[in-house]
Amino acid sequence: MPGFSSGGVGGGVGVPASAPPRPFRPSRYVPVSAATTFLVGSTSLFFCFTCPWLSEYFSCVIPIYVAVIFLFTLANFSMATFMDPGVFPRAEEDEDKEDDFRAPLYKTVEIKGIQVRMKWCATCRFYRPPRCSHCSVCDNCVEDFDHHCPWVNNCIGRRNYRHFFLFLLSLTTHIMNVFGFGLVYVLHHRQQLDTPHAVVTMVVMCVAGLFFFPVAGLTGFHMVLVARGRTTNEQVTGKFRGGVNPFTNGCTRNISHVLCSSQAPRYVGRSRSPQALDVQPPFLRPPLTEAQLEAKVLDNGIQNDRHSTRSKSSLDPTESQSADAEPPPPPKPELRYPGLPRADTEESSLLTEGPTTPSMYKYRPAFSSPGRNHTALTHPSKMIRGDSLDSPSPSILQSSRQPSYRSEPSSLDGTTVVGGGVGARRGGGDRGEGPGGPGGAAGVIPGGMSGYSLAGRSHTSYPSSLVLSTGGSHSSSLRSALAANNPLSTLQSEGTTDTSYKSLANQTPRNGSLSYDSLLTPSESPEFESAAHELSPQKPRAVFPSAGAAGQREGVSPGSPLQGYTSPFLSAQIAQQREGQLLQGSATFSSPHRAYLRAVSPPPPSASGAPEIQHLLQANHNSSSRGPRNLSSSPGGRSLEPPVSPPPRGLSLGKSQYHVGEAGPQHRPPRASGGGLVVGGGGAGGGQQAAQYPSRPVLANHTPTKSGGGVKKVTGVGGTTYEISV
Amino acid sequence: GRSFNASLLSSFNIGITGLCFKKVKTHSLQDLRQPAVSSKVFVQRDYNSGTISKFQTKFPSELESRLDKQQFEETIQTLNNLYAEAEKLGGKSYLEGCLACLTAYTIFLCMETHYEKVLKKISRYIKDQNEKIYAPRGLLLTDPIERGLRVVEITIFEDRSIGSGR
Repeated sequence: MPGFSSGGVGGGVGVPASAPPRPFRPSRYVPVSAATTFLVGSTSLFFCFTCPWLSEYFSCVIPIYVAVIFLFTLANFSMATFMDPGVFPRAEEDEDKEDDFRAPLYKTVEIKGIQVRMKWCATCRFYRPPRCSHCSVCDNCVEDFDHHCPWVNNCIGRRNYRHFFLFLLSLTTHIMNVFGFGLVYVLHHRQQLDTPHAVVTMVVMCVAGLFFFPVAGLTGFHMVLVARGRTTNEQVTGKFRGGVNPFTNGCTRNISHVLCSSQAPRYVGRSRSPQALDVQPPFLRPPLTEAQLEAKVLDNGIQNDRHSTRSKSSLDPTESQSADAEPPPPPKPELRYPGLPRADTEESSLLTEGPTTPSMYKYRPAFSSPGRNHTALTHPSKMIRGDSLDSPSPSILQSSRQPSYRSEPSSLDGTTVVGGGVGARRGGGDRGEGPGGPGGAAGVIPGGMSGYSLAGRSHTSYPSSLVLSTGGSHSSSLRSALAANNPLSTLQSEGTTDTSYKSLANQTPRNGSLSYDSLLTPSESPEFESAAHELSPQKPRAVFPSAGAAGQREGVSPGSPLQGYTSPFLSAQIAQQREGQLLQGSATFSSPHRAYLRAVSPPPPSASGAPEIQHLLQANHNSSSRGPRNLSSSPGGRSLEPPVSPPPRGLSLGKSQYHVGEAGPQHRPPRASGGGLVVGGGGAGGGQQAAQYPSRPVLANHTPTKSGGGVKKVTGVGGTTYEISV
Repeated sequence: GRSFNASLLSSFNIGITGLCFKKVKTHSLQDLRQPAVSSKVFVQRDYNSGTISKFQTKFPSELESRLDKQQFEETIQTLNNLYAEAEKLGGKSYLEGCLACLTAYTIFLCMETHYEKVLKKISRYIKDQNEKIYAPRGLLLTDPIERGLRVVEITIFEDRSIGSGR
C-alpha cells in the first residue's frame, strides 16, 4: 500500500509511515539552496579575503571566533533542516473505527482551566493534540507546530524549534561579525578600495547588511515568542490575542524549556520491537461485583444508563465552566440498544469528562463494521504487535481501499455512513446493521455531539471559536426548528452547520469501494482524485449529524429508529454533492429506500424552519461561490493546507463571518510568497506560516459546485441500482 | 541392493514422518492459533496540565471485566511518572544540551539522549507489565510511543474459554 510503502513493511522499521511518497518539487529547494549558498559562500569569501589581514593586524583569535560562530550556525542550520520536527505517524485504522459521521470535528479538552479545541485531522486520522497542526507542505501533523520554514525547507516543530531558534541567534551574530569585521577592514583600507580583497569584502558586507534586517527581525520576533511561550502559528492566527495562553509556564520556564529540555523523541522511523507475547486463554478475571453481575444480566438498559448518565453529568461541569452564553445542548435520550463495548475507538475515551461518542457506540452493535471486525478476527498476525501494521491487507473491505494513501481507512468510514442507511440492503458490504440499529441513536448523537462541541468552547482564549460558537448556537437552534420539516430539506441547510463531523473531513476518493459514498457518486471519485484537496472537504457530510438530529427531534419512535438516520443522510449527501440542488433536497431511491423515506418523518410542524432553510441555502450558495475565487487567489497551493481537513463546519451564517474575517490574512500570503525575504517585525516569522492558517477556514467554505439534473444511476455492491434524482 | 535401497528410503521416509509426526504432536491447534482481537481500548492523553506527556488514569469500562481498576491505575500512573522524568528540565538535560552545542551536535551520534533512555525504560516496564499482568488477562498494552504518545492502546483478546464477549 502506498501509504505504508515509505515506512517499510513488516515490523522492522516503524510503520505507519508519516507521509506517503511525495512528488519531487524542485521549487521547494530554491529558498534553502539560496540560503545555503549565501551563507557558505559569503563566509568563505570572508575567510579567504578579509581574515588573513585581520589575523595579522589584530590577532588570530578573530578568525577563530568567527569560525566558531559560523560552525555553530551551520550545525543548527543543518539540524533545523534535516531533523524530524516532531511528525506524528498516521493513526492506525483501529483507532478510528468509530463511524465518522457521528463523531464531531472538534473535541474540547481543558488545559489549565481553559477550553482548547482539538480538531480532527482527516489525513492523519486522529484528533490533533493541542498545539499540533497539519503542515500542508510536508503533509504531516507536527507536534507543537511553529511554522513551515522555506529557508530550511522543513517544518519547525517541537523537536527542532530549539535548533531553529539557535540558528537565528547565531546567524544574527554571524552576520554582525562579518559585517563588523568587514567594516574594520574597509576602514583601514580606504586608500586601497580597488584591490580585489577590498572589493570582495565590500560585497560580503553588502550581502551581510542586506540579510541583517530580516534575520534580526525574525530573531527578535522569536525571542518574544519564546518568552511568551507561544508558537508562530498561535501568534499569527491570533489565538491568544484576547485571552490567556494555557501553554505558558512563565518567562523563565518557557526559555528553559526551549533551550534546556531534553531532545524530544522521534515518533516515526522508530525500530519496533515485535512483542512476541503469547496471549493464551484461559484468562484471569477479576471477581465480579454484584452490580456488575446484574449489569451483565440486564445488559441492555443498565449499561447504557450508566454510560449516558455519566456522560450527561460529566457534560454539565464542562458547560458551566465554559464562558459560552449558549443554551446547553439538549439532553441525550436513553438509548435502548445492546450494550456494546465502547472500546473500539480512540475517541471514545478522549474527553476527560465522559465522552459523548460512547453513546453513539451503543448502537454500534455486534454489527460493528464487519470489515473492520473481520480484519481483527481474521488477522491473527495482529496479535503480534510487530506485525500489526500489516493489518490492512486481506479482509474484503481492505481490498476495496483506495490506492490513495489518504483514503485508506476512510473508504470504510464512508461505508459506515452509508451502512446505517442502507444497512439492510448491504449484503456483503459494510456494516450490516439492522434497521433498528443506528437510526435513532444516530439521531441522538448529532444533537448531543454538536451540543457538546459547542459547549466546550471558551471565549476567553480562542476568539475564533467565538464565531464558530455563534454559528454553532444557531445550528443547534436551527436544527430543532428545521427538524420538523422535511428531513431532506433539513439536511441541506444543516449541511452548513458548524457541528460538522469527521466524516466530512474524511473526504477521500473512492473507486469501486464498498462505500455507499462511492456508490452515490462514482463519477465524483475521479474528481476527488484530480481536484486539489480544496474541494474534498466540501463534500459535506456535514449534513449527516443534522439529519440524525432531525430525525431524532421528530420524536423518532423506537420502532423505526433508522428513519432520521438513513434517508436524510442519503439525501443529504446527494443534495450536498450537487450544489445546485440545494434547494431541492429530494432524493428518490429505489423502493426499499422509499419505504424508509415514507416511514421517516412525521409531518413537519414548524413553518419557521422554512425561511431559515432558504436563508441558509442562500448563504451556503454565496459562500460556495466565493470559494473558487479565493482558491485562485492563493498561489500554487504551496502553503495551503490540504482541505481534506477542514470540512464545511460553519453554519452559513457563521461561515460568512469566518469568511470575511479570514479574507484579510488570506491575501497576505500571496504577496509574501512572492519569494525573497519575509520582512516585517511581528509578521515576519508568521508570513510564511500565515499562508497556511488563514486559508484553512476559507477553504472550508468551498463546496464543489455541481449542477446536476435528472436522475443519476448508481450501482451498489450487491448489484442493486439506485436511481437518485438530482 | 535395490531392496536395500528401498528399505533405506522407506526407513528414511518413516524417520522424516516420525519427525514430522513428533513435531505435529508437540503443538496443539490451540497453540498455533492466537486468540482473536476482540476490541481495543484507547487511553487518551490527559492535557489538564498542559502538553506534558500524561495519560488519563480513568479506568475504561471495557476493562471492567478483565482487570482490576487499581492495577490499571497503577500502570498508568507509573507511566506518567516515567514520562515526567523524561521531560524533566533538570541539570542533566541542561548539561546534555550544552555538550551537544559544544560538539556541534555530533555527540548524538554516539550518545543517547536522556529522553531516549527513559523511553527504553518505559518500554521495558510495559513489556514487564504485559508479561506479568496483562497477558494473563488477555490484554496487551502497546507502547504509546508507537502512536506518537497520543494514546495507550490496550488490545483485548477474545476469551474463547468462557465464550466470546467482553
